[in-house]
Amino acid sequence: MKTITKHLLSFALIAIIATIAFRYFLSYGIENQSTIIVTTSAIIYGISMFLAGWVFGKKDGEYLPIFDLGFRFHLTTYLTHNGISLLWILLGFGSKYEKLEWTVMVAVYWGFFLFLHFIYYLWARKNSIDNLDKEDLFE
Amino acid sequence: MKNDKKLNELLTSWENTYKKGQLTLWIFMSLQESKKYVDEIKNFIEKKSNGTINCEEQSLYRALRKYEHINVLTHELKEGNKGPDRKYYYLTKLGEELFNQFVNRNIKLFYSNEIKQILKLN
Repeated sequence: MKTITKHLLSFALIAIIATIAFRYFLSYGIENQSTIIVTTSAIIYGISMFLAGWVFGKKDGEYLPIFDLGFRFHLTTYLTHNGISLLWILLGFGSKYEKLEWTVMVAVYWGFFLFLHFIYYLWARKNSIDNLDKEDLFE
Repeated sequence: MKNDKKLNELLTSWENTYKKGQLTLWIFMSLQESKKYVDEIKNFIEKKSNGTINCEEQSLYRALRKYEHINVLTHELKEGNKGPDRKYYYLTKLGEELFNQFVNRNIKLFYSNEIKQILKLN
């Protein structure tokens, strides 16, 4: 698929590394009941994901005007975060206080917002030709 | 003198607006003539437009990437004089059809006798 670009793959790689690091510190923080570790790791994770998305999204847009760039990055973030989180718990890396249901509920609630974004993505698709934004096709 | 300055400013302003959207036409014209690699396309545009169309390499590469993506042009690799193979771009059938229809609808109208008279081209 032409819309899976090298910038999106680079973002996915960073997202995987950041999510694994976040999961580690989150579980460690919960295990030791440290609010500071939990909060700090969540903030650093959020900022690093935002910056990675911003940098690689910008590069992707400059490379080709792919329509609704945001959905592709959102979907990648969703799959990476929830996939790793579920595996983390299922493989027994989580703290004893963490429950699988919490991770599943995050995936479900987030999935609802991803679905809304998907509806917008389908709507925005009308303004594209071969996945490129019609408005930015010719110069 | 003041009028000359104003005329020049107005002309530049109009030309800047007019030139938006021109790059595609010039790229297509250069490839309609023959297969070309990036430097040749750039030279063609600058020479044939008498330097009125600025053709930055980055814009040209981005445009070529887009047109390849939508399948109006493609490339083949040929040996360059030195270094790596060069990408020689050419119009696909879809690209040729698009170019012909664009020219028919937007360029040929300038060549009717009536318009030529208005433009004082006769």
